[in-house]
Amino acid sequence: MEKPFTYFLTWLGLLAFLALTCASAYVPLGPWNTAINMAISCAKGLLVALFFMHLKKSGALLRIAALTGLAFLGILFVLSYADYATRDISPAAWAARP
Amino acid sequence: MSTIQFDNPLERRAAASLGMWAFLATEVMFFGPLFMGYVHGRIAQHAAFAEGSHHMHIVLGTLNTAILLTSSFTMALAVHASQQGRSSFRTWLGLTALLGLAFLGIKGSEYWMEAGEVSKASGPVLKFYFLYFAMTGLHAVHLSIGVVLVGWLWRGAKLYGRDYYSPIEVAGLYWHFVDIVWVFLYPMFYLIERYAK
Repeated sequence: MEKPFTYFLTWLGLLAFLALTCASAYVPLGPWNTAINMAISCAKGLLVALFFMHLKKSGALLRIAALTGLAFLGILFVLSYADYATRDISPAAWAARP
Repeated sequence: MSTIQFDNPLERRAAASLGMWAFLATEVMFFGPLFMGYVHGRIAQHAAFAEGSHHMHIVLGTLNTAILLTSSFTMALAVHASQQGRSSFRTWLGLTALLGLAFLGIKGSEYWMEAGEVSKASGPVLKFYFLYFAMTGLHAVHLSIGVVLVGWLWRGAKLYGRDYYSPIEVAGLYWHFVDIVWVFLYPMFYLIERYAK
C-alpha cells in the first residue's frame, strides 16, 4: 500500500508532464514533437499504472495480466502495419482510380 | 467478510483485482483498432490531421486533461482511505465523480462548438474528425460508466470498510485505465504541429 504522499507526488509529476507536453508542442521540432508527446504519454501512463493502480507493489500475476493486452496489441499493430507499409493499395477493376 | 468460494479475504481480493485486470486487457483490445486507424491516417494524411488539430480547443483540452489526472488522484485517495477503514473515502469518491462530470461537461461544450466546423470540413480532414469523435466519444462513454459506478459506490458507502473494499479498488482500476486512455488521446488530437499556427 502506498502512502498518500506518494499519490500526491505522482499527481504533481503527472501535472508537470502535462505542462511539458503542452509547452513542447509549441516548439517546432518536426517529427520529434510526436515522439516527445508519445514518450511523455507513456511516462504518464506508467506513473498511473505503477502508483495509482498499485502495479509497483503487485505480484507477478497482476503485472502479467496488465501487460498481456498491450503485448498482443503490439503484435497486431506490427502485423497490420507490415501490410500497409509494404503493399500498394490496388483498387478493384471496377473501382475508380484514386 | 468471507464467502464460500474463497478461503480468506486476501484470496478474494486477489481474484477481484485479477478479474478487473483481465477485463482491462480486453478493453485495450477494444480501443486498439481505433488507435491503429489513427496511426495509418496520421501517416497517410499528415497535413489534413495537422489542419484538423488546429481546430481543437487546446485550452479546454488541457484543462480537461488536468481535471482527469486530478480525478485519478482523488480516486487513489478514496481507495487508500477505504483500505485504512476511514470513512473519508466517501468524500473522495464524491469528488472523483464530480471531477468526472466536469470533464464530460467541458467535453460536451467542445463537441457543441465543433459541430459547426465539422459541417464545413471535407476530404481527409473529415477522417480526422471521424477518429476524433469516435475515440473521444468511446472514451466519454467509458468515463460516463465510471461516473455511474463511482456514484453508486458513494451511495452505498455503508457497505464498505477495512474488511471489504474490493469494489472500490476495482472501480479505481477502471477509472485509472480510462484516465490513461485520455493521456494518449490528448496529444494525438490536440497537439499536432501546434507551433505552425
